[in-house]
Amino acid sequence: MEKAKISPRQLFVLMVLFQLGSSIIIPVGLTAKQDAWLAILGGMAGGLLLFLLYYKVGSYYPGLVPTEYMPKIWGPVLGKIFAFLYVLYLFYLAARVLRDFGEMLVIFAYPETPLFIINLLWMVLVVYTVRKGIEALARTGEILFTVVAILAVTSFILLVFNGSIDTRNLQPVFEEKPITLLKAMGESVTFPFGEILVFTMIYPYLTQLKKAKRVGLYAVLISGLILSVTMAINLSVLGFSLLSRSQFPLLSTIQTIQLAEFLERLDVFFMIGVIIGGFFKITIFVYVAIMGAASLFKVKESSHLVFPLGLITLFLSIGIAGNFPEHIREGLDVVPLYLHLPFQVIFPLLLLVGAILRNKKKQKKQLATK
Amino acid sequence: MSPFFKGKKQAAPNQSQPVDPMPGSITSNLQDNLSLVKQKFGNSPDIIIRELKIGSSKAKAAVIYVQGLVDNQLLNDFLIESLMQYQSSSQNETKPEMLDNIYDLVIPMGGVKKQTEWSKLLESLLVGATLIFIDGTDKAFTVASTQGGEGRSISEPTTQNVIRGSKEAFTENISTNISMVRRIIRTPDLWVESMKIGTQTNTNVSIMYLNNIVDHDVVQEVKKRLKKIKIDSILESGYIEQLIEDQPASPFPQIYHTEKPDVIAGNLLEGRVAIFVNGTPFVLLVPVVFIQFFQTPDDYYFRFDIATFTRFLRIFIFFISLIGPAVYIAATTFHQEMIPTQLVLIIAAQRETVPFPAVIEALIMELAFEVLREAGLRLPKAIGSTVSIVGGLVIGQAAVQAGIVSPPMVIVVAITAIASFATPSFAVAISVRLLRFIFMGLAAAFGFYGIIIGLIMMTVHLCSLRSFGVPYMAPLGPFRPVENGDTLIRAPWWATKKRPSLFSSNNVKREAENQMPAPPQPRTIKSESTEKGNQNES
Amino acid sequence: MSRKRTFLFGILASLSVFTSGCWSERQLTDIAMVAAVAIDRNEEGQYEASYQFFNPGNIAGGLQGGGGGQSPPVAVYTATGDTIMEVHGNMSRKISREPYYSHTNLVVISEELAKKEGIAPVLEAFDRGSQFRVTTSVVIAHGVKAKDLVTTLAALDKVPSQKIMQTLESTEKALGENIDIDLEEVINALVSPGREPMISGFTVKGDPKAGTKQESLQATEMPSPIVADGNAVFKNGKLVGWIEGTDARSVLWVMDRLQSTTITTAWAGQKDALSYRVVRQKTNVSADMKNGKPHISVHIHMEGDIGEVTVPINLKDPKTLEKIEKDIGKQVKKEIETSIRHTKKRKADIFGFGEVFHRAEPKEWKKVEKKWEDEIFPHLAVDVSVETFIRRTGLRNNSYLSEMKNGKE
Repeated sequence: MEKAKISPRQLFVLMVLFQLGSSIIIPVGLTAKQDAWLAILGGMAGGLLLFLLYYKVGSYYPGLVPTEYMPKIWGPVLGKIFAFLYVLYLFYLAARVLRDFGEMLVIFAYPETPLFIINLLWMVLVVYTVRKGIEALARTGEILFTVVAILAVTSFILLVFNGSIDTRNLQPVFEEKPITLLKAMGESVTFPFGEILVFTMIYPYLTQLKKAKRVGLYAVLISGLILSVTMAINLSVLGFSLLSRSQFPLLSTIQTIQLAEFLERLDVFFMIGVIIGGFFKITIFVYVAIMGAASLFKVKESSHLVFPLGLITLFLSIGIAGNFPEHIREGLDVVPLYLHLPFQVIFPLLLLVGAILRNKKKQKKQLATK
Repeated sequence: MSPFFKGKKQAAPNQSQPVDPMPGSITSNLQDNLSLVKQKFGNSPDIIIRELKIGSSKAKAAVIYVQGLVDNQLLNDFLIESLMQYQSSSQNETKPEMLDNIYDLVIPMGGVKKQTEWSKLLESLLVGATLIFIDGTDKAFTVASTQGGEGRSISEPTTQNVIRGSKEAFTENISTNISMVRRIIRTPDLWVESMKIGTQTNTNVSIMYLNNIVDHDVVQEVKKRLKKIKIDSILESGYIEQLIEDQPASPFPQIYHTEKPDVIAGNLLEGRVAIFVNGTPFVLLVPVVFIQFFQTPDDYYFRFDIATFTRFLRIFIFFISLIGPAVYIAATTFHQEMIPTQLVLIIAAQRETVPFPAVIEALIMELAFEVLREAGLRLPKAIGSTVSIVGGLVIGQAAVQAGIVSPPMVIVVAITAIASFATPSFAVAISVRLLRFIFMGLAAAFGFYGIIIGLIMMTVHLCSLRSFGVPYMAPLGPFRPVENGDTLIRAPWWATKKRPSLFSSNNVKREAENQMPAPPQPRTIKSESTEKGNQNES
Repeated sequence: MSRKRTFLFGILASLSVFTSGCWSERQLTDIAMVAAVAIDRNEEGQYEASYQFFNPGNIAGGLQGGGGGQSPPVAVYTATGDTIMEVHGNMSRKISREPYYSHTNLVVISEELAKKEGIAPVLEAFDRGSQFRVTTSVVIAHGVKAKDLVTTLAALDKVPSQKIMQTLESTEKALGENIDIDLEEVINALVSPGREPMISGFTVKGDPKAGTKQESLQATEMPSPIVADGNAVFKNGKLVGWIEGTDARSVLWVMDRLQSTTITTAWAGQKDALSYRVVRQKTNVSADMKNGKPHISVHIHMEGDIGEVTVPINLKDPKTLEKIEKDIGKQVKKEIETSIRHTKKRKADIFGFGEVFHRAEPKEWKKVEKKWEDEIFPHLAVDVSVETFIRRTGLRNNSYLSEMKNGKE
């Protein structure tokens, strides 16, 4: 643990940027076709529930991170094993996100550059930031949040003036069966909303712990709305068929802007937005993974771990998949079911049950002693 | 600079020579005292010892001063003359009585002290005080008011020109400088503390703050850091700056320096601490935030709308001078798709004959420009224009015509250069100069990806900095909405109700409520009278 | 310890910069920017692609001014291959630089290729590649080889492909008889079961060879100008026919793409008596089920001015204007209905009625989706209603023609 404090505002900004990070480039909820934006709203509701679950578990052990309270709930051996798995899960996710963004850059702008080199530059930035600590990251978040907001609003205005937005593409609403829509909602619960799990590692830094709940709920709500609006814009500009064929729909959307013979080819907007989003996503994952490892192995100076673990993440990101489609398939089929579901839903539920039982015992003991 | 270095080199061997240990206090024997002074200064001819006899008892006395450090007229007319004309009140006054009488009746000056310790005496002698020894007493006078000698008079600032506002700038003399601020802020709450730093130079260093506004933790921290300095010399405030900043490995300045008293006054009123160093017109200010380097004194004197506009302009300028050439390199070697077709065709046409890749071309031009700038800086003003003609016109034009560099590149480098001159703070402008080359490297290797990663890294770095406990990027990160009235935007004075709480923790109220001006009520009468007035004039 | 780590970090950081070796770097002097791609089919059934490359030196004019006058602003190279990527590879045998497609704004496909093979396989590579833009315009070479469109020089615009682009843009705006459609729209229409693409045709009048020389630009009238010529109608990705004139305009009208056009109508028995200029128009297409069958209604609302009269009409009289409004409405309605009738025969739903029906009745659409084009569309009931408003009559009210007549009488 560092000696650092972040304000509720900073936590909010970090959460929103984190959620937007990769979900802006990787479309979610596409099973629902042109209702994907509705599916995201539904997923957001699930995300709110998940957040409340994490918050409830954490509220039994204020000031502690999951890797610390897991042994307290499940006993030292079992708890430590699960804490270790949890840290591995975080590292895997960090590597996955790194891979996402590396691949995005290779496909979009640097086809001849090896993925490793692209990811290396990412990791240089991430390692530097993690070493500077959560305070610097949170402040950077506040500044870059403004930048992203300006970019988003500008792009939106340009899209409107360009006449690219055709809301007819959003019709017909509710075409697919309700089951399909529900399925799409379920998909978007774990990714991206379930990933706020990582912030359980960051709450102890908050200056006003009481505000954690409100901040978290607002952050999930706002990021859900932004994601939904983005998806709706993408759909209405591109139409579902083109969107579903695009690796990066947002890029295609922005490329349609051609205004006044001058405001065109605004790919750099996309690039800035996505690199900022990716930066926060990767950095927060790596940060919490390293903090988790440090608390698990009782390393006092967590900055000693940054360098070696950063390198491991880098190599992991190259090794987890042979090619991009495989990587995406894993991300859509394997990871949600076999990793997200247990780690984001089942374990926290078990933790909650354990925590409630332990607390009851404690209360009984206290009563008995009285 | 060369005399300084020479001085240092000569000083070094002297140190190794055995010097008699300094006795603690003076003796009552005048001759002993005088010979000690002579020996101490190695019979330097600029140490003037004027021996005289005073009073009816014709007591032996001596006046010691350093030539050039004292105001000769003052010394002769008031001090020596009145000493010589001293008549004892009684024939048999004792030496100590005489000493008191001289102190009470003779010396028509302020700043007189009785001293016994050699160290204090020599110290004040070296800052321009005059020493008076009287035989048979074990006390001596130091007359500080004789300080004077040649110094530069107050003139206009050379590095911070303003269009509106005070035109005076600090001088090399610390007491003049302090007085210039005192003349602006007339309150007893303006406190000054001084100390001497530098084992050889014994430079006067003073800190100044407004006692009722300043955050006292910062004052303590400043004093702590200043006291920690153990160095032989302080020749300029830059020494201090480099010895007390928070993060020495950062390319960004973490201490503000200025030569304008009104800037110091304005910042003291926001709760900052000023550090004056004798011998330089540049006064330091701590703690600072990054955005402060983009503000100029005129901002506060002009109307807020234009001031806000120029602040945005300066941020824009900062980015141009930081990544101008880098963006050109990235766009022409990686992202040709992002340039409009007509423009890319023009650039491509111009680049056909250029034998270098864009990054080499940019490096050549940037280096050439740096050389020109350096040459222009050191040359006498008369030749300076020749350099710009030869450099800018002759070399630039010839290089383009020969096809060694392309005209768009020249345009980019020129815009970058002008942008870096337009940055209000020289300290930031020079750190940007260095970073620009790093960004060019990143652009050449990774295009926009490299530039954006570099910019984020720079932001992280800036956000991790602190200046005397204050986050460097405040109030942008950590974001404090209330305090953004004086950052990128400059809110009108009637809306700036509070001081930034970053620096002044306890006293933030700046002005009364309802300061927004409005036309008088009722308006009709007034307007009639002005109309009449106009008619009369016409 | 910490210093060592910082050092290592620095090494790694600089390594990542220097070892990158500028893999994806492309100097401007190493690439040849493609202005337009024209694709033909040769006798062996291979693609024969002609790339029109920008010749920057001749476009920008060079430093010394006017240096670009002598040689043409573009150069055309042709290569063959079984796939577009193969063509790209073969192209490198002929050209010293790497073709670069990001500034390509025109794809020309020959009529023959579009008829026999369809356009779908050709466009795939363009859709996939990261260099190609989705906003690239697509046209069909009508009656000439696609190559002829990119080799013919143009007078006002330095780059021929830009001439085609701008002609397309301005004619869609002013006349509304050609459609400026880009790659993304073509592919969307190809994919959608409820719509077929319509793509503008261009042709070279006169001898195509004559227009390829720089000397042809010396004349005030080009010997072989490039002109917009009809619109190709596709079905299942293959060209099935051409529609022109008011038929094409009606399609744009129904698609709500028309910006302005001129309608000439009769008055008092005289043909072409007055011209009405459409300034603003809005088309609403809606669909529903009527008697168990899909039914489409098209409603057009247009506003405009009287542009010209060739017979004396009393334009001061609101009743006359009302009558004119009605006449024009009727004529537009007739035009659109004729156009729909013609299109039905080809069984190609270029109007996109299928998409409208899909949006309005998603459940019914599921049932008819497969047979829409061949069975439903040809018998589709379409109601057209037109609302016309004459807002202004220009700087004059009654024409001087009426006074001339009066004077004679």
